[in-house]
Amino acid sequence: MTLSVRQGRPARRPEVWLRQAGDENAVYTPSSGEVFLMNETALAIWHLCDGATSPKEMVEAVCEVSNMHPDIVEEDVARILSDFDRAGLIEWKE
Amino acid sequence: MPEVRRLTLDSRCSAPGRGIVAIGDAGVRILLADEQSLFREAVKVVLGNEDDLEVVAEARDGVQAVSEAERVRPDVALIDAGLPNCDGVSATALIRERVPECRILVLAGEEDHRTLIDALEAGASGYLTKECPLGELIEAARAVHRGEILIPPRMLGPLLRGLISRRRDQDEALRKMSRLTRREREVLALLAEGADNDGIAQTLVISPQTARTHIQNVLGKLGVHSRLEAAAFVRQNDILEDLVGSAT
Repeated sequence: MTLSVRQGRPARRPEVWLRQAGDENAVYTPSSGEVFLMNETALAIWHLCDGATSPKEMVEAVCEVSNMHPDIVEEDVARILSDFDRAGLIEWKE
Repeated sequence: MPEVRRLTLDSRCSAPGRGIVAIGDAGVRILLADEQSLFREAVKVVLGNEDDLEVVAEARDGVQAVSEAERVRPDVALIDAGLPNCDGVSATALIRERVPECRILVLAGEEDHRTLIDALEAGASGYLTKECPLGELIEAARAVHRGEILIPPRMLGPLLRGLISRRRDQDEALRKMSRLTRREREVLALLAEGADNDGIAQTLVISPQTARTHIQNVLGKLGVHSRLEAAAFVRQNDILEDLVGSAT
């Protein structure tokens, strides 16, 4: 299994904060002043960005829950991690 | 005004209609299992109003749910987690074993992570709380019939974290197990099955003293302090099969 995301373990940037109100999950980055809204599945991956969990572990867990093909899950997880990365929400730990 | 963007993991993971299974003219045949007759009646009426859904059997406890499932072989079973006389999770496991084509949606009184994991491990396709709107229950019945897996969104994060944690524990357990010799694995498997020194010695045709030495080595390599702890180590990490397989 190869992920098309960076090697390492993603970690939420400490300055980024999350606010949950009802069904809305908003992540705010003070440095850029941007707000990102996440759905619950994206939020589940966001919570796994703890600097200790690898993308491979995320994919395996989602596969176990969903019974979906690993290639599909891998692509989706890679995409959301790339989105987090581009948005400056996470950093990567070795 | 800050810029707002949406980040979603929904392109395919949560897209509706995945793995669609053709629904015949007769619609989705449903078994409804709940101790409360008023709840069963209400849900039956609501589902009966849908053209493609039909309640074909009811059960008030777990044993009856299993026997009704075997009798009518429904497409979908809505099973209350707290059924008396064989709880909903146990009933789920039995139905999946005896009527494998039946998809099961477990209904719980409240969000409970242990019940969610147990239900999924027992073979359930979904989990809903009874606080959900009836419309959601209707859609959930259709979704599990299509082959989708339904998990309350708020429970997904903790569920994934729990699975990752459990997998790490199992990897660590397998790593520790790899330090054991073949004979020590045999001893550990017997310990996990409750054998005492004499039993281990007799089974492996070795002296009780040799059995004791092996046990001490096993405890040391696993980093546990008693044979009870060693047995718990095997049980908690669900590695008895690996143990038996690698010892033979």
